[in-house]
Amino acid sequence: MADLAHGRDEAPAHHQLTGIDNRKLGMWVFLSSEFLFFGALINNYLLFKGRDFGPGALYPVELYDIPFTSISSFVLLMSSLTMVLAHSALARRDQAQARTWLFATALLGVVFVSGQYFEFAEFILHGLKLNVNPAASAFYLLTGFHGAHVVIGVLMLLVLAFKSVRNGSLSEAEGLNVELVGLYWHFVDIIWIVIFVLVYLIQ
Amino acid sequence: MAEAAHHHPQPRQYVTIAIVLAVLTAAEVGLFYLEQGVEAVGQSLTVPALLILSALKFYLVVAMFMHLRFEKRLLSRFFTVGAVLAGALYLVTLAALGAVILF
Repeated sequence: MADLAHGRDEAPAHHQLTGIDNRKLGMWVFLSSEFLFFGALINNYLLFKGRDFGPGALYPVELYDIPFTSISSFVLLMSSLTMVLAHSALARRDQAQARTWLFATALLGVVFVSGQYFEFAEFILHGLKLNVNPAASAFYLLTGFHGAHVVIGVLMLLVLAFKSVRNGSLSEAEGLNVELVGLYWHFVDIIWIVIFVLVYLIQ
Repeated sequence: MAEAAHHHPQPRQYVTIAIVLAVLTAAEVGLFYLEQGVEAVGQSLTVPALLILSALKFYLVVAMFMHLRFEKRLLSRFFTVGAVLAGALYLVTLAALGAVILF
């Protein structure tokens, strides 16, 4: 009886042959593999950015708005802070603060993606469509996939935050989910750190 | 979770790290404009500096925000091997295809 009651509240057991929760290990392996994914897209962009596509060809680099992108980068960087504060608050069992920081992280993610949408809209207005040349395609592919990762992160954050609102708190098992989503979110941030320098600042 | 958090930095330290990250980002943007505005400052100076600054930011986020510094070595190995292999693979590919990578 006591065991049953105990078992009901506990998170399902996960194998830990390595001493690390398998879900956490799986997330780290997934993130390592994501290096190859984004590496291919960055590689693709670097291959095409210096190519000559004939007279009158429009290149992404001609349209970059560095102050605007710098602010977007700052927003994403600060979202990493709010994410780690959410995780830290949950570790201290401060559910209200954890919920607030989760919402704040999602909000900053939405601001970043909105900025990217605005940037794409501006570029398209200036004639830099997806198919005008391989450099433009490579740019949209790289930054678009990064943006898609941010959108997925925002959705996961909102699910956790709304679960916390609905249940009044996040359980121990959901605490691990916050950690996993946090790892994913920080990874998206470090990829942007690389993109910001290699794509925008080194022209 | 509370036990693991015991070894992790405190909120104030996280804020300090975020301030350092913001300063490094400002330095990156400053270097970009320095290169654009001052002819004497060429890409041979700014590119390595920008790469070092972004590597520092990368390290800070991975080590402190992702807590890799406080995790078991196995995770560090997975992450480092993934990052280094991907970086090496793509550098070789870019060099083989004759791309103008950075300079």
